[in-house]
Amino acid sequence: MFRIFVRHQWKEALRSTIWHKNVAANIFIGFLFLLMIFYLLLIGILIDRILADVYPGRNPAEMFNGFLLLYFLADLVIRFYLQQVSAFHISSYLHLPIRRRTIVHYVELKTVLSIFNIIPFFIVIPFAFIVVGRQYAPLDAWIYLITIFLMVMVNNFLATYLKRQLSSRPRIVAAAGLAVVGLILLNYFGILSISGFSSLVFGYLLIHPQLVAIPAAILFAVYAVHYYFLKKRLYPEEIETRKRQKMDSISEIRYLKGLGITGEIMALEMKLMWRNKRPKTTIYLFPLFILYGLFFYPQEIYMNQGTGLLIFVGVFMSGGMMLNYLNYAFGWESNYFDALLTSRIDMERYIRVKFINSLIISTLCFIITIPYVFFGWRILFINFVTFLYNIGFLSFVLLYMATFNKKRIDLSRASAFNYQGIGASNWLAMLPAFLFPPLVYWPFQAIGLPYVGFMVIGVIGLIGLSLHRVFLQMIRSQFEKRRYIMAEGFRVR
Amino acid sequence: MIVVKELTKKYSGEIVLNIPSLTIAKGESFGLVGNNGAGKTTFFRLVLDLIRASSGSVFSGEVTVSRNETWKQYTGSYLDEGFLIDFLTPEEYFQFVARINGLTQGDITEFYDRFRDFFNDEIVAKKKLIRDLSKGNQKKVGIAAALMKEPQVLVLDEPFNSLDPTSQIRLKLLLNELNTNGETTMLISSHDLKHVTEVCDRIVILDKGLIVKDIFKSENTLKEVEDYFYTQIYRQTTS
Repeated sequence: MFRIFVRHQWKEALRSTIWHKNVAANIFIGFLFLLMIFYLLLIGILIDRILADVYPGRNPAEMFNGFLLLYFLADLVIRFYLQQVSAFHISSYLHLPIRRRTIVHYVELKTVLSIFNIIPFFIVIPFAFIVVGRQYAPLDAWIYLITIFLMVMVNNFLATYLKRQLSSRPRIVAAAGLAVVGLILLNYFGILSISGFSSLVFGYLLIHPQLVAIPAAILFAVYAVHYYFLKKRLYPEEIETRKRQKMDSISEIRYLKGLGITGEIMALEMKLMWRNKRPKTTIYLFPLFILYGLFFYPQEIYMNQGTGLLIFVGVFMSGGMMLNYLNYAFGWESNYFDALLTSRIDMERYIRVKFINSLIISTLCFIITIPYVFFGWRILFINFVTFLYNIGFLSFVLLYMATFNKKRIDLSRASAFNYQGIGASNWLAMLPAFLFPPLVYWPFQAIGLPYVGFMVIGVIGLIGLSLHRVFLQMIRSQFEKRRYIMAEGFRVR
Repeated sequence: MIVVKELTKKYSGEIVLNIPSLTIAKGESFGLVGNNGAGKTTFFRLVLDLIRASSGSVFSGEVTVSRNETWKQYTGSYLDEGFLIDFLTPEEYFQFVARINGLTQGDITEFYDRFRDFFNDEIVAKKKLIRDLSKGNQKKVGIAAALMKEPQVLVLDEPFNSLDPTSQIRLKLLLNELNTNGETTMLISSHDLKHVTEVCDRIVILDKGLIVKDIFKSENTLKEVEDYFYTQIYRQTTS
């Protein structure tokens, strides 16, 4: 039976319309993927030397063990947000004479193929044989590997279980996420030594290999809990969590009503974003963009030498969400695009609303990142000019590019790592979007006028803003040219 | 009201619709019948300027639909779920349609009165999103929204399909009423020969993209249309 399921899924994946039309994006994704594998393997092979460099005089295996528990914690949170729970269409099989438990096992085991279960092994396998195998006995390397495999599986089934269980309760999820971040911070400041504990536990395991039974038992328990959870809820209406939506009060926003048809379209878009899974999970990525600066600002090296990178960070923070929105400016509405085209809505107004929305999104992101001024006025200045660039230049480019996107977007699927509905144009749009400002800046840095370089970036944005009528008109006529093609693409389910 | 000239639509070289000439008079109720793949929906999409014609054009009133948008002001249409905004409640959707058509709150109240029986207490005030409604109820929402602005041109693709018997009869009465008023030009396709011949003054049969029959209503329209399809089957079995 499993074989048949797998074959069906394989066919579903192969026949998905994404693959057929989208060679460029596929090659690009494939390339990124290979690159990532290469880097991970490299890290895995060199990790003992890296550790020895960073923490001289300490045992690399101990150090590595110290990271493990933290990794599993972080992994659990990340999986919760990013790992897809199966898109297996149970309802097409339930009415057939197939045993329920076969279906449940399949649904549960299917998650094993997730990329999250594969990535760690590119590092761990070389590490286990190069470092552990050398320091201890070769057999220990195997035990070590098996333990980590078991732990990864525990995380896999736990995260997917929690996701199925809790996705309807975002507050609990947020609290759990914060708790894990808190633990990591406590560890970082040395208040609570998780890494010490982790090092101890995994070190002990290397001395007493029979303890591998413990993670095995945990895995079994988690799997069983998940299994019975699913088995009890095998009715499609329960498992597909298409619960009847609680009504929200977006329709009551008086202010938008006052804006006439423009307000009506904006209210519609807000409902679109808030009531559908795909855009909603995109909104959940919001903190990721805002916190991006924290990766760079605390590091001396970037602050002193990586100004181009800081510009990139600025573009990314105030432009990332906007990019997510504008890439699919029209695709979001693929479900009812025909209705828009036959409606009396004036397309010029419609396009202007898209622009205004991107203004709002970007401004909001900029305002939230103002506290980064803590790292110096220069940061605020960079973020401000890149913000101007985003709203006055990038927004028009993206809106223009969006007319090339004719992929229907399935609003009911989650978004992270979801390439459904992404066209080559989306990838194309991202590159110049982020590379252009640093390129503008570098010549000025080279002649010793960095601040002039910043200002030029800002001025580009200001000029764009003052010409917004012209740009919107251009986008409008582009839209007119493309609308049949878009409408046709959007109809393909 | 609707005039078609030299209209063709090709998909990858293959002609799926070819109508050299067709005129639908103002106030006429025009029924389109044909097997799957005959080109009914393609024709409606061309009338609504949702796909680009390979050649020729469709005129609505005085204007070419693909060049001028004024026809949108007096045209109501419902082809498929793609016309619904499924994450809204029906009320929100009606409100939205009303606003973009410039209708007043009074018009909306009147609209609800008019469609109360048709909705049969299953649409309004249920606190359900359109996507959570059944197929039939979704269709009701779409048809009602198309009729909301009292359009001069009404385009409906298989409106009777997936409606329950009561609603089918109610819809038929609604459409007949519009027809007797003579203000609305209706373009309706259907697989239900009985319904469509009852509602429409004129039946056109499409086959593989061509108009093969154009019948104006008489007492035995239904018989004539049925006969056409029976002969098709005989021809296939004998050949």
